[in-house]
Amino acid sequence: MSGQSSPTFGNLDWEVTPYTDLLEHVNSSTIIGAGAASVLVLGAFAGIALLTYMRWWKPLFRDWLTSADAKKIGIMYIALALVMMARGIIEGLVMRAHQATALGALDKAETGLVAPDHFAQLFSTHGTIMIFFVAMPLLIGLINFVLPQQLGARDMAFPVLNQVSLGLTAAGAGLVMVSLLIGDFGTGGWTMYPPYTGLDYSPGEGVDYWLWAILISGVGSTLTGMNFAVTIFKSRAPGMHLMRMPLFCWTSLCVAIMLIYAMPALTVSSAMLALDRYAGFHFFTNASGGNMMNYANIFWMFGHPEVYILILPAFGVFSEISSTYSGKRLYGYTSLVIASMSIAVVSFMVWLHHFFTMGQSAGVNIAFGIATMIIGIPTGVKIYDWMATMWRGRVRITAPVVYLVGFFLLFVIGGLSGIILANPSIDYQVHNTTFLVAHFHNVIIPGVLYGMLAGVHYWFPKAFGFRLDESWGRRTALLFVGGFIFTFMPLYVLGLMGLPRRSPTFQDPDFLPWMYIASFGAVLMLAALFCLLWTFWKSYRHRMSLSVPGGDPWNGSSLEWSTPAPVPEWTFASIPKVQARGDWGETKRAGDPWRAPDSYADIEMPANTAHGLIIAGMAFALGFAMVWHIWWLAALSFFAITAALIWRGMRVIEPRIIPARQVEEEDRRFREYVAGATPITRADEESERNRGVPDCSEFAG
Amino acid sequence: MTRPNTGELQPEEAPGAELKSYAVGLLVSFLLSAGAFAAAFSELPTNWKVIIICLAALLQIMAHLRNFLHLNFSGGQSREDLLLVMFSVCLLVIMAGGTWYIMSDLSGRMHQNGADHAMERPAASQGL
Repeated sequence: MSGQSSPTFGNLDWEVTPYTDLLEHVNSSTIIGAGAASVLVLGAFAGIALLTYMRWWKPLFRDWLTSADAKKIGIMYIALALVMMARGIIEGLVMRAHQATALGALDKAETGLVAPDHFAQLFSTHGTIMIFFVAMPLLIGLINFVLPQQLGARDMAFPVLNQVSLGLTAAGAGLVMVSLLIGDFGTGGWTMYPPYTGLDYSPGEGVDYWLWAILISGVGSTLTGMNFAVTIFKSRAPGMHLMRMPLFCWTSLCVAIMLIYAMPALTVSSAMLALDRYAGFHFFTNASGGNMMNYANIFWMFGHPEVYILILPAFGVFSEISSTYSGKRLYGYTSLVIASMSIAVVSFMVWLHHFFTMGQSAGVNIAFGIATMIIGIPTGVKIYDWMATMWRGRVRITAPVVYLVGFFLLFVIGGLSGIILANPSIDYQVHNTTFLVAHFHNVIIPGVLYGMLAGVHYWFPKAFGFRLDESWGRRTALLFVGGFIFTFMPLYVLGLMGLPRRSPTFQDPDFLPWMYIASFGAVLMLAALFCLLWTFWKSYRHRMSLSVPGGDPWNGSSLEWSTPAPVPEWTFASIPKVQARGDWGETKRAGDPWRAPDSYADIEMPANTAHGLIIAGMAFALGFAMVWHIWWLAALSFFAITAALIWRGMRVIEPRIIPARQVEEEDRRFREYVAGATPITRADEESERNRGVPDCSEFAG
Repeated sequence: MTRPNTGELQPEEAPGAELKSYAVGLLVSFLLSAGAFAAAFSELPTNWKVIIICLAALLQIMAHLRNFLHLNFSGGQSREDLLLVMFSVCLLVIMAGGTWYIMSDLSGRMHQNGADHAMERPAASQGL
């Protein structure tokens, strides 16, 4: 922090942008920094220009930003995640490119594409973004979209709270994005361990950006968890017993429980670090009785459940698609439920394995090492269940199945390297090397990313009314599989050769070939990203020939496939009465599944509101003001948030009534369409004949 | 058929009783907070202070659960509520107990105790 801060602008001045660095020294590092900031600014302008040119401002505000519909909120979460993922993948590519050029010598430490400090910012933002603003919004978005439909509910239990959660997540993501242009991000990695991130060693705004992004979005995630849990316990359709829920709902319940109990630990550790930095506390400082080891302890009390928060929804998706695309019932439903719940609970007992080398005695390490190995068992059960589900099924090799197979092959390798690391004596050898980096990318990319993209592909027609192009979907999946193998398998080797993680330079030329392979892999990952975007674009262009108004393009068996595509705002014309597990499939087996309900009634839906938008804006202002010590703005936005909460609490809010006549009209139109359409067999699923009306006689699931 | 998802007042439940429950909860919470602060500023030995603050915190948690979150073990949802509380307690015991286990082990290996800190405190600590 240079100079004293002004009362109006806090620590902000004109020197904080990367352009100042570029003017001072022109080199590859500053060019990349300024380039990234320019992309952000130009991207924002391009977005504004597009919205203005297409006159989308009003529809965006009316139909999306102020909507309390869980399905739309889910789609917005996923859109946010994809934007952040583009940044995360590009950062990954820059880091790989840097390390490929970072062969240095002992007397010439600073080499390569970017400066060491810039490299540290890259890996810190990459980790923070990929965990908190890509993986979390992807899975929360998917759950928001799918969960109420699968449960037979119209909406989440707390629709407006849902909107607020999205707003808080977006505010956190916005803070991380703004750090590209204004100031620097922290350099302490995504975990931001003190004492390095304390005021003594990291005096600037970087760690504060991280803290406020995490604190704000963390509150959002906690609220989301509560919302999911209440929805599952209170808003199920009549007859939807817990043991009749589709497996995705079960994994969502696990996620909800873990969000509720794990996120507070992160909020606490971040709040304590914030107190250290802002208020002169000594929780984690070197001096005055601070104990920085407790930070690692509290952080990973959140951190380990977090990785299962990430992976479990993907397990849910894989359960759905392995069953649907094999045309079989899910094998071992009960064992999958028990395995998911076991993972959820055991994941709270293993956190120490993230800091085996911190200095505790061998007995403590062994206890947590054993717990860590135990958690591999339910995961193994699940893999076998999915394989047994596909066994002798009529498997269609659609894009989600390519993801699923890639997941089988790669996730098992990643899981096994995790079991290796669970042994403290091995962990001592490879901790803090790229072996670890390879391990966690090996579970997160094939697990979370493949699972979420498979889920997006699977449920896309439900959201937008047309399927995604299968050929491009498969190409994307294959590129992500190949990109992963080329990028991260070399990192296992490099780790065993002794390359420390987060190292901006190295002196051993033997590393170079592996670095080149990894860089090639990163290029493939970028190609996969473009391929993904191209899939969306191409499918949008051909939306007429890909449209599936019948709403059941994959011959599915859970409730969400009984409605039209795109699904109406009220989801179900009348709330279904659930008779069995896989109720929609059972109805198909009994014949005449598309029978109209006997009567229609008015439907109450939550009214649109700008509440979430206001809270998001104020939370962003609060975070930004705290980062730059603009105290008046911080106080103002804090009180504005409080006032908004109280104001909404005091008002009587009328729900929006959708008249029975409108529901009936639209529902009848859908039923007539289905009755008139030609049912297609699974063999025709990828052809233009697929209008979302499957041949029920073929249904064996 | 069209059960709304938005909040709905239960007509059979009198608003007066609910308001009273909230008021009692608020008062109890306020008194317990004040008690904790009083203990912190008092002349009692540190151990006593810690015990009093912990007790006040636990009681306050119970007051919040009972008066604000309407948790009770005799109504229609008593079984669900009980399970919820037991699960929460189980996880909190894992977290708190694990922290105790890890941090006391670390502390033992670093030969740390309260007296060391007091003596090693540097003269000019870098605060705000």
